[in-house]
Amino acid sequence: MDATDSRATRFYRALLRLLPFDFRGDFGPEMETVFHEQRKEAARRGGAAGVLRLWWETIVGIFKTAPGEHVAMFTQDAGFALRMMRKNPGYTLAAVLTLGLGIGANSAIFSVVNAVLLKPLPYENGERLVTLQQQAPRAGMLRQPFSVAEINDYRAQSHSLDGLVEYHNMNFILLGRSEPERVETGVVSWNYFDVFGVKPLFGRSFRADDEQPGAPAVLMLSYEYWIRSFGGDPTVVNKKFTMNDRVHTVVGVLPPVPQYPDENDVYMPTTACPFRSRPAFIANRQARMMQVFGRMKPGMSVSQSGADLNAVAANLQRAYPNDYPPAIDYSIRTASLEEELTHNARPTMLVLLGAAGFVLLIACANVANLNLARMVRRERELAVRAALGAGRVRMFRQLLTESSLLAVIGGGLGLLFSWGALNLLVNFATRFTPRAREIHLDSTVLLFTLAVAVLTSVLSGTAPALAARDTVVDGLKEGSAQSTIGIGRRRMRSLLIVAQVAVSFLLLIGAGLMLRSFQKLQHVDPGFQPENVLTMQIGLDFTKYNTNDKQRAFFENFLERVRAQSGVKSAAASMMIPLTNNMQMPGDFQIEGQTPVPGQALPVADFRVVSEGYFDTLHIPVLDGRAFTRIDRPESPLVAVVNHAAARHFWGEQDAVGKRFSLDSGKTWTQIVGVVGNVKQYGLDKDTVDEIYMPLAQSPLLDAIVVVKTSVEPMSVARGIIELLYAVDPNQPAARVRSMEQVRAESVAAPRLTSNLLSLFALLALTIAATGIGGVMALAVGQRRHEIGVRMAIGARPVEILRMVLGQGMALALLGIVLGLLGAFALTRLLQRLLFEVGPTDPLTFVGVAIVLSAATLVACYVPARRAARVDPIIALRVE
Amino acid sequence: MSVGPNNLDSHEPLTPAMFHVLLALAGEDLHGYAILKEVELRTSGKVKLSTGTLYGIIKRLLADGLIIERRSRPAEANDDERRRYYRLTTQGREVATAEAERMDELLSVARARNLLKRPRPA
Repeated sequence: MDATDSRATRFYRALLRLLPFDFRGDFGPEMETVFHEQRKEAARRGGAAGVLRLWWETIVGIFKTAPGEHVAMFTQDAGFALRMMRKNPGYTLAAVLTLGLGIGANSAIFSVVNAVLLKPLPYENGERLVTLQQQAPRAGMLRQPFSVAEINDYRAQSHSLDGLVEYHNMNFILLGRSEPERVETGVVSWNYFDVFGVKPLFGRSFRADDEQPGAPAVLMLSYEYWIRSFGGDPTVVNKKFTMNDRVHTVVGVLPPVPQYPDENDVYMPTTACPFRSRPAFIANRQARMMQVFGRMKPGMSVSQSGADLNAVAANLQRAYPNDYPPAIDYSIRTASLEEELTHNARPTMLVLLGAAGFVLLIACANVANLNLARMVRRERELAVRAALGAGRVRMFRQLLTESSLLAVIGGGLGLLFSWGALNLLVNFATRFTPRAREIHLDSTVLLFTLAVAVLTSVLSGTAPALAARDTVVDGLKEGSAQSTIGIGRRRMRSLLIVAQVAVSFLLLIGAGLMLRSFQKLQHVDPGFQPENVLTMQIGLDFTKYNTNDKQRAFFENFLERVRAQSGVKSAAASMMIPLTNNMQMPGDFQIEGQTPVPGQALPVADFRVVSEGYFDTLHIPVLDGRAFTRIDRPESPLVAVVNHAAARHFWGEQDAVGKRFSLDSGKTWTQIVGVVGNVKQYGLDKDTVDEIYMPLAQSPLLDAIVVVKTSVEPMSVARGIIELLYAVDPNQPAARVRSMEQVRAESVAAPRLTSNLLSLFALLALTIAATGIGGVMALAVGQRRHEIGVRMAIGARPVEILRMVLGQGMALALLGIVLGLLGAFALTRLLQRLLFEVGPTDPLTFVGVAIVLSAATLVACYVPARRAARVDPIIALRVE
Repeated sequence: MSVGPNNLDSHEPLTPAMFHVLLALAGEDLHGYAILKEVELRTSGKVKLSTGTLYGIIKRLLADGLIIERRSRPAEANDDERRRYYRLTTQGREVATAEAERMDELLSVARARNLLKRPRPA
């Protein structure tokens, strides 16, 4: 053939590749010949134009024929596959269930990862949103909120933001409904929702004139609150309610977007908040309460914005050197909102995704082994089909179609699992990020599931399909009932078992480390006794209790009554309770005898206000001096109690009792009357901080948590105590009524749930792997009956057979464990961030897991091994 | 590969192109290229099958048992090894006949309704 011919032939052959492989195999050469002749004739009759026309017709013809051929082939394969699955219900069920669990686990975790880590924020221009925090690390202040003066300065002087808004959270009492209702209130700048790109569901958002001093008070309702409290009534707009002695009009309802930083019931502009709008508060640059968010101008990066804002910080340092002394190293931290919302969740979610991936691998290996096992039984069938002309590739495709169908059905089942677990997933993820509410099974998750199903079918189907090609030759040999399994196939099965054991080991190690870590967390001494303590939050109505005396009187009166109640051993009130997510309230002070050096930071500690009886109620030990008592009145000398850490830190070896400090640069002095034990204020895994306690009698609280030590189960007296509360003030609700044990459990909920999930995965993996190994061993024994029969006939005892089979199975398992060990050493450092006081190569965990896994595989191998030992040599030796 | 059913009615309907191929083979056994030429000739160039279409049809007809591949081959000199000869089976002949009769019936009705004048000379 000349050059044109060979080019044409190559092109035609390339075109034929559109057709199925078998079709090409059957008719390809013939089609080439025919086309060749067609070309010659077309050239003769019509010249170049004729040839071109022929090419066109041929290409069209192949494009028209190819799809039909592929579909016909697939339909046939699929039909056959379905018949096979119906005829082997046991296998089908096992495979579908295994795959379903593996795919489901991945689908579930991915739906969380997708919603929390991958999807952009549900706010318009979410990528331009940033959070601002003031820092003064040398003064022990990280993530400080802002004061009004500071907000105004940053708003006026920054160039990189086209919107800077403030937020703080209060709770107020809403009147005008059937019962007084305590509502979580977000107090925000008028353009807060504009900056976030959130448009009201209906009604209107706040306007600039809503934030003018003296403007009529307005409210916006959150979506959840609107549904919960108003039943989704659209006529709620323009309704009026009383809060803080003012009439507030509802102007709009928000759509269901994640609320950040807190889930609030209602929102109001800053001028409607009685605290925020006090002139003294506005004038005080040090009165810091608000969080600040900004929207960067288009094209700005976070680092550029950070630099711009730090330039403003530098301006402030120059303009107000007393408020920002150089020694405290004042600066602004700018972070993207997206980052803030997700960084907590990221390590945990990624670990779980990895774990789910491992579970899937084990599931695939299992199904692959199942398929390989079935290969042996299908030898006859496959051989016959080969003899009838089914090409090897055709059979390969048939088997791949089978595994695809299984994977698709498994995928459907997996999606069902995920859908069922959705609530649990959301509940779990909520502890890490407010984006949890965005978790859905959306199209991305579906696509991911499909991709995983495809991957699964390839992984679980390829190995046996490859092995099938050898079968064709073996199958037709004489005596094929006891055909020796191709060495390649046996090796593949062994490889799969080793891989399953190795990956199971990894998962078990991960779970084991998390469990140990959680266990260590549980055993941390919190510094107090949470047993039999009831807690409830009481936020006084500001307008009613508008003086220190009224606030003090309320709590003293109430606590008096509570203490008299039966079942109550002691009661107290406090600004905050341990193990709850409190914002730090650091304050600086001057120690008597230590003159402050200008430009140097003052000592800083966390200040807390507690009533008398607090330390007693929570069993916080008094190490030196005394706790607060009735003698500490407003008129008496100012007193304080410090914790052990503070005593050590500020007064070293000296006795802190009797020492004094000042909160107002030396005008008045507070004397330390006692030292108490350290308490884990911010979390069992967080460090203790320096704390200074002030008595409630001398620093009244508007918002306090009442703690009650009971002699009976704490929740059983809750009702009675709330009745007492109503007796003191019928319009005063109590919130967050729960026992201290519940608080403690909540504080470790995240690591507990994570280790539970990981353990679930590990258990799943272990079960799948163990049953897989057992199944393969059983099959191997079944196939070696002849050999075993021979051995027994020549004198081997059953126990020797048992040992032989067990030994072979355990050899594989041990190899898997060793590989798993090596893998674990390499991978567990990825878990480091999630672990508490446990090293990633914790020997106890490693040894424990090795033992558990060995035991599990031993049990899995034992049953088939015993069956092998029971083989009757006479039956086994009979030729089939 | 599945063996086609014996029942004529359970075939999918014959496309015109398939019918042409059956017609071509009704005369004598032919190889692929010859079938193409025969169809083109008989229809005066109106129906020109491409290789893709033709072999899709051949595959269908083989699967349905309407044609078979002929085992014996012509004398050496004329033979091209890559050529395969196809023969109409008895069943294929029956199906072609049934189709032809069906068309004839239709044509009679058309003639009766004066849609067709006289039968054109062959």
